[in-house]
Amino acid sequence: MTWVSKSITVVGGVLLAHACYSAQEHSSLQSFKAAASTLTSSPPTAASLPIDIAIETIVALLVIIFGLVLGTRPMRPIQWHVWAGKVEREGEEGFLDSEGEVNRDYVGNPFRSLETRPGFIDIRKQRKEFAAWVKSGSGQAS
Amino acid sequence: MPTEKELQISPLVPDSILHNSRTLVNLQSLTASLFGVVAGILGLESYSGFLFYLAFSLLTTALFYFVRVAPASSFASSTPAQKAGLFDTSRYFHSPIAFWTGGLGNGLAGYILTWTLFYGLVRA
Repeated sequence: MTWVSKSITVVGGVLLAHACYSAQEHSSLQSFKAAASTLTSSPPTAASLPIDIAIETIVALLVIIFGLVLGTRPMRPIQWHVWAGKVEREGEEGFLDSEGEVNRDYVGNPFRSLETRPGFIDIRKQRKEFAAWVKSGSGQAS
Repeated sequence: MPTEKELQISPLVPDSILHNSRTLVNLQSLTASLFGVVAGILGLESYSGFLFYLAFSLLTTALFYFVRVAPASSFASSTPAQKAGLFDTSRYFHSPIAFWTGGLGNGLAGYILTWTLFYGLVRA
């Protein structure tokens, strides 16, 4: 996704630079003509921008805007329940930035402090599991 | 605007609000300078330059809406009751007015800067 937006932006930038150069050349040509017309005393012409340069400039601008908009980072939901649901469902996948890496300020599961609260730990079950683990370990050792 | 009670019932995530608005402001200040370049090349003067800026910054915001905001808002929720209407930005932005018109003030200074610069460069 990122190289698409970058290449579109670069194409638009090249078009814009070309249009800028054309407009500059056109205006210098007009001023040269005006200087020449004072010598030959012919009527000076109006120095408006040719329509093709104007069209190229507008098209270049639209192409650049499109590339830049495609390159923006994805939005994040602002409502807590929508955001937390997205975290639970997608995990780190939902918070990649445009380079495909997990974003710096990704905080992870917002309910982790609740889920690891000591009051919620089933200590008897963990003791049974530990006893089974010790038994299996001693069985292997002997 | 949501009242304090509604905010207590369905709280907002400050980090996400900051992230979204920063993304939008970055885009707008960048494109505003480009509008200045184009307005200088076209040789716009006085009111037509400001109308150009108004039209294109609204166009940029609309394009941003259709690329980033609208697809997730409309297709993320499967139930029709939660489906957002057209031009509804409530999933990602606090107030719709700030979303649609915030860009006008953000980039105006950069726009005028590059507008005058390129007007002077091209029409030397």
